Amino acid sequence: MELDDFRIGQEPYYRAIGDEVRLFKAAYAERMPIMLKGPTGCGKTRFVEYMAYVLERPLVTVACHEDMTASDLVGRYLLDAQGTVWHDGPLTIAVRQGAICYLDEIVEARQDTTVVIHPLTDDRRVLPLEKRGELVRAHPDFQLVISYNPGYQSVLKDLKESTKQRFGAMDFGHPPTAIEAEIVAHEAKIDVEVAEKLVDIGQRSRSLKGHGLDEGASTRMLIQAGRLISHGVSIEAACQIALVLPITDDADIRGALTAAIAASI
Amino acid sequence: MVRTLSEQHQSLIASLADQPEIAGTIELVWRQARASLPAELLDDWVAACRDISVRIGPNAAMSFIRNSPSVAAAAGAEAAMALAAFAASFADIAGRNATLALFVAAPHAARRLARAEAFTEWLRVIGRIAEFAPESVSLLLDRSGRLLDSLDLRSFETWALGGIRAAENDPERRLKFFALLDTRALHALEHGADSVAFTDVERELKMFVAALWRTTPPIRVLPPADFNTPRRACFANGVIRVPQSSRGVDGQSGKDLFRATLAHVLAHLQFTGEKFALGGLKPVQVALVSLVEDARVEQLAIGRFPGLRRFWLPFHLAEASGVVTAPALMARLSRALLDPSYFDPNGWVNKGRDLFFAERVRWTDPAISRSIGGLLGNDLGQMRVQFNPRTYVVEPAYRDDHQGLWEIPAAAASAGETIYESVRFEQSKSEPADRERETSSSGPANLARLVREAVEVGVPVARYPEWDYLISRERGDWTTVLEYNPADGRAEQIDSILERYPETAYRIAALVQAAKVSRPLRVRRQSEGDRLDLEATITAAIDLRAGLTPSPNVYARLERRWRDLSVLLLIDASQSTNDLVKGIGRSVLELERDATSLLAHAMDGMGDPFAIHAFCSDTREDVHYYRLKDFDTIWGAMAKRRLSGISGRFSTRMGAALRHAGRDLVSRRSYRKLLLLISDGEPSDVDIADRRYLVEDARRAVLSLQHQGIDLFCVGLDAGGDSYLTRIFGRPNVIQLDRIERLPEKLPLLYFRLAG
Repeated sequence: MELDDFRIGQEPYYRAIGDEVRLFKAAYAERMPIMLKGPTGCGKTRFVEYMAYVLERPLVTVACHEDMTASDLVGRYLLDAQGTVWHDGPLTIAVRQGAICYLDEIVEARQDTTVVIHPLTDDRRVLPLEKRGELVRAHPDFQLVISYNPGYQSVLKDLKESTKQRFGAMDFGHPPTAIEAEIVAHEAKIDVEVAEKLVDIGQRSRSLKGHGLDEGASTRMLIQAGRLISHGVSIEAACQIALVLPITDDADIRGALTAAIAASI
Repeated sequence: MVRTLSEQHQSLIASLADQPEIAGTIELVWRQARASLPAELLDDWVAACRDISVRIGPNAAMSFIRNSPSVAAAAGAEAAMALAAFAASFADIAGRNATLALFVAAPHAARRLARAEAFTEWLRVIGRIAEFAPESVSLLLDRSGRLLDSLDLRSFETWALGGIRAAENDPERRLKFFALLDTRALHALEHGADSVAFTDVERELKMFVAALWRTTPPIRVLPPADFNTPRRACFANGVIRVPQSSRGVDGQSGKDLFRATLAHVLAHLQFTGEKFALGGLKPVQVALVSLVEDARVEQLAIGRFPGLRRFWLPFHLAEASGVVTAPALMARLSRALLDPSYFDPNGWVNKGRDLFFAERVRWTDPAISRSIGGLLGNDLGQMRVQFNPRTYVVEPAYRDDHQGLWEIPAAAASAGETIYESVRFEQSKSEPADRERETSSSGPANLARLVREAVEVGVPVARYPEWDYLISRERGDWTTVLEYNPADGRAEQIDSILERYPETAYRIAALVQAAKVSRPLRVRRQSEGDRLDLEATITAAIDLRAGLTPSPNVYARLERRWRDLSVLLLIDASQSTNDLVKGIGRSVLELERDATSLLAHAMDGMGDPFAIHAFCSDTREDVHYYRLKDFDTIWGAMAKRRLSGISGRFSTRMGAALRHAGRDLVSRRSYRKLLLLISDGEPSDVDIADRRYLVEDARRAVLSLQHQGIDLFCVGLDAGGDSYLTRIFGRPNVIQLDRIERLPEKLPLLYFRLAG
């Protein structure tokens, strides 16, 4: 299977906050496995897409979930009329063909699942397919990137020490106010002043983290609100649709957020 | 035939001929009656007067004559006639005095209710109350004006009938209730139909505060006070106190008022900074400095959150009209300083506004409040407008009582030279001071408890062996465990711990919730899984060969689905836990209590069975054991009181306590059983000189419990005790904490091992 579908055709918009692009390039040059830390919707996935574009590599993205098993990553036998037939998983595809494999929210996956990446992430760079009795040597272009949300509610699903220590890590936070406003303004095509308001509102919701909210509003959410505003929706209504209602079902938090938004504009 | 006015007049005088003192006032009353009653009803009115005079007595007639014209003027002539008709039957039930009270109360009620139907309804309610509580009705009528000011008719009826029911046929209690001497009466009043209790909206408002200012100051409810004083919020030492309930005004709900109040108080907490010194300021100046300060912090807050103006404006109802009194002028000034669209013709108000906005660039400096307020106070004094500090109430309703703004010298407080009204201040002084402070004060309270407990007798419940490492043998029945009744503390203390670490509490709860501790279960015939389910695969293969459509469910996987976990938290309550933990100035025992509360809160939320026990020891013959909460009791006020009441004393004979706790756990029928010791580290007892002896014994106890299928963990709250605890429990089973906030970071370790 060719990986043309996995190539990023157009340059994705990415606003660098610090030195992360240069650092990632250096890490890629060494094929160092990289771990991106940060809250949801702060731009981790966009960053990987952008880097895949810049490095001209195909990008295989796997969204990890709690029922995901090792077979979902490496592949499994399927049944057909003649019997069983092996089917490569997304990780194996990336390893064979030299793509950047991005495992999104890796902590969500079960502990035993994450262990399969161990031999890939040290100097062996191999992927054993136990059930098939095959040892896949990684393509020279292959790189593994995982994302990881340390503040996530399932603290329990922390990564194993042995997994963590194989990666280099880059920390993504919510961007500084001015930059976040610039991003929101660009992505939603709205005025910077309105974007600044939205970012301020986003920060209000972020201060509720731990007081009932798992996470405050992400940059992605603010962009969604901004897009509605660009269609002539009022700030209050846009925030209600794109921010307050999605983020929680708790009536008290909704009330508090709505009031905080009203106070900010 | 309609008689002439003078005939009616004569007839009225004649009917009251035996009341000479009436003669002086009757002319006036007559003019009023003529003005407020339509001519055709005058006859009936005169007849009613005569009727009342005959049936109830001349005093009542007098009162009716005096008061009924006002009733007619306020609620219509029908109201006055309804009053007369009602009075006769009312007098039969409630007596003459009550009837007099009825007539006196009627004009106010009429003014308040304004319509004849409403007034008639009021009479009906009074009649019902009279039937149930004839002795109390005159007392009630005396207060009826005040009551109607704060309750609408429906809630008035509910309130009164509720009081009658609560009194259970005891006239004494009914009297107490209607005299508003009963706190329940006040509570019920404060909590009228359209008012909102703070506790109902507390969670949302706290989150509102957290969202805007990223702080979570403790918010408490003021105790109910005298009914006649409107309550205002106050703040001191970082604690905000708000009235128990609030009623909305002018279309705003009670919740809006609470929100505006908190927004205002938080503006003070953000921008006021240092308290003002009283210096030689007069009360009126104090009031104005506070008023300007209110406006200043509000403007600063609006600069940050422009929408706040909309939260506050609806409560500014002052209009540029009416009598020029000091409170009215101040309310107008308050509005002028906040509301850009408000125009006031008054020179003083305008001067205040000009002074205030001229200093716009210096708004960040609290000193301008002092100078502007002082100037305005002088001016107000020269205008000879009366300012009565005893009756002054801060307006609008959302503002605080200003006491948090001023440095009040203790001497002045007792001398009554306080902000507005010494009475109110002293009352708030006598409230239990800052709760946080109380919890940290340890000395005398603990001492008292110690003395009281010293005479308590424990019940010997078990004897346990002890391991002597020197002879490598257990000494049989060597220690005696006695169970004692735990002392009671205050349940609120435990609740305040949860408030102090909201984020930690939340994270721990999420963590405990996420742990699936149970037997792994093989689920077969799944559409997804990590291995093929052999049976299903064979069936599918057969189906294929037979030309049938095979089921896609051919996988199997392992799952942990339920929680099956019993936890026993064992607290070390020895003397050494009174030591302060280095660097944070809190005792080990306090940290133990914090950690226990947070864990208990989380486990209670999940419905995991858990117990909380505590121990200390005084030689091997007297190992104290306290059951603060058992597996089958709820995590309620009693358990919290007991947890709050534990005090550190005696020594730490860990082995015996572990064995005793383990015996409880062994009998639990759970998949995993967890014994979690929270300790400061070092086992010791007064009858043991060899430091290693008890360590080895505890290690032995841990090993034998592990053999019985119990997981043992230790949360050590003193970094110094590391070596002992790791020796006893094994390194992976010890979590060392120096700050309680780190508990969630460390806890996964524990659950990992359980889930694994």
